[in-house]
Amino acid sequence: MRHFRTLLAHELRTAALAWSTWASAALFLGLMGALHWFAVLDAAEVAQASSPMEATYQLFWVPLLCVLPLLTMRSFAEERRQGTLAALLTTPASPAAVVWAKFVSVWLTWLGFWLAFTAFPLLVTQRLGSAGDQRLGDPIVLWGGLAFIAVSGLMHVALGILCSCLTRSSALAALLTFVGLLAFTAAGGALEKLPIESWEWLGWLREPAAHLRTFSHMEDFTRGILDARPFVLYASGMLLCLGLAVLTVEGQE
Amino acid sequence: MAAAAPLPEAAVAAERLTKRYGSLTAVEDLTFSVAPGEVVGFLGPNGAGKSSTMRILAGTMAGTSGRASIWGVSVALDPAGAKRHMAYMPENNPLPEDLKVEEYLTLRARLKDVPADLVAQRVAKVMDDCDLARRAARQLIGQLSKGFRQRVGIADALLAEPKVVILDEPTIGLDPHQIVGIRDLIRSLRGKMAVLISSHILHEVEQVCDKVVIINRGRLVAQGRTEDLRRELIPTANFTVVARVDLARLTQSVVTAEPAALLETLASADGWTRYRIALPAASPARESLATVLIAAGFPLREIAEERIGLEDIFIAATRRTPADLRRP
Repeated sequence: MRHFRTLLAHELRTAALAWSTWASAALFLGLMGALHWFAVLDAAEVAQASSPMEATYQLFWVPLLCVLPLLTMRSFAEERRQGTLAALLTTPASPAAVVWAKFVSVWLTWLGFWLAFTAFPLLVTQRLGSAGDQRLGDPIVLWGGLAFIAVSGLMHVALGILCSCLTRSSALAALLTFVGLLAFTAAGGALEKLPIESWEWLGWLREPAAHLRTFSHMEDFTRGILDARPFVLYASGMLLCLGLAVLTVEGQE
Repeated sequence: MAAAAPLPEAAVAAERLTKRYGSLTAVEDLTFSVAPGEVVGFLGPNGAGKSSTMRILAGTMAGTSGRASIWGVSVALDPAGAKRHMAYMPENNPLPEDLKVEEYLTLRARLKDVPADLVAQRVAKVMDDCDLARRAARQLIGQLSKGFRQRVGIADALLAEPKVVILDEPTIGLDPHQIVGIRDLIRSLRGKMAVLISSHILHEVEQVCDKVVIINRGRLVAQGRTEDLRRELIPTANFTVVARVDLARLTQSVVTAEPAALLETLASADGWTRYRIALPAASPARESLATVLIAAGFPLREIAEERIGLEDIFIAATRRTPADLRRP
């Protein structure tokens, strides 16, 4: 991992100069701005159980499915298509350093997008001042939600990086990431809907299913509840995906 | 003062290297070596397995069996260690389009463990050596011509002053001026680095390389110095003679000097006939043929020994059958 810092600096620089990053940022901010705007309007018309910020975070899956695949898709697929990945691996840099550098770069970019998004609620709060809903700028919701994005992002980004390793086509990598993220995000909810209680032979699934409820994790974070289990889930998912990505890159050597 | 590390016997060693893609055998039982400081041409027809072999040696592809080592370090067991001694420029020389030449070389220098305080100096030196400094240093790689891209690839290969440089078709797509430049550059590496270079431009290889390794259908068909291969693969010395004499009289004179000589008529014009005389390569008549013909008193306009180049050696070597290869 001696070359990790060099590779990370290169990846961050490349991301900052790539038009696709800025297009993704525009798409993300447009999408999130609209979602937050509608949440604020809803709250202005009828009193809501959750604050506009909580309602916006509830829709985290929209940018997750629409924007994150755009960020991860090129990381390996494009390099494999151009042949530059093979050239990179002729240096003493290890496949693990390459995978981690790309992962951290995309993860930081993803966090950067969400940090930029926090400008919207802060602007709304500032604009409305004391006249607005006091929950609008609730720091626990704001930073708790961001913490959820950061922690769950570990696994979401790692999944995207793994998908990008599997193909030379960026479009296919994006599609694979979309399907993977959709399956993972929906898995908890889907398992919740199953009548597991009435199927004895599926009893063993009850406990793991409870851990997969992404939306519950998000709600916990926005309420300021920090549970170790989501950390373990997302960190182990990240390690699994990145481990497989390293093996895939090594296999391509 | 620390003693210098002893030189390994071979800078590059391939030992019974085999690579199979499913049922297709790309490289089979290939054994050859490159000595430190030696420039070796790696030749073969298209699809012979040159690029596969080079990729295995460079550690970008695993072999199916056999051993490959760079500067005594096994490529399979210690890939990072082997890569530290070696630089590889692949055939299509993939480069990132969105970096400037100087930025790219700086990144590569850091990844190749060039000491931080020497990075700028080394980058400047290789750009100078490869004639990139004046015209291309600040340009995006994506905007460079094919020739300049090749130079960037070669500059990258030389950056860390490796002990072994593997260049897969470095002169492909270059104009004659650029080829001469690259040839001089490679020639300047002799004695400093071991260079394994594949090329279809046999004339270039002949001028630059100390020895050649020729493979065909994944198997070694010949290796050695051009002179040795000439003796081994082309057992005759051919002379062209232009004389005003018939074949029977000419044959009569030549066989007195070399009974095994073979003569054939090539062309006739204005009473002059062009003949080819094939003598065994080891025949003393090679040196006395001119004297014999002059002594015979024929009107003689020309006598010359045909030059046997690497192209002839290559063609002879790649025509060898498996039975020829098994022969001691």
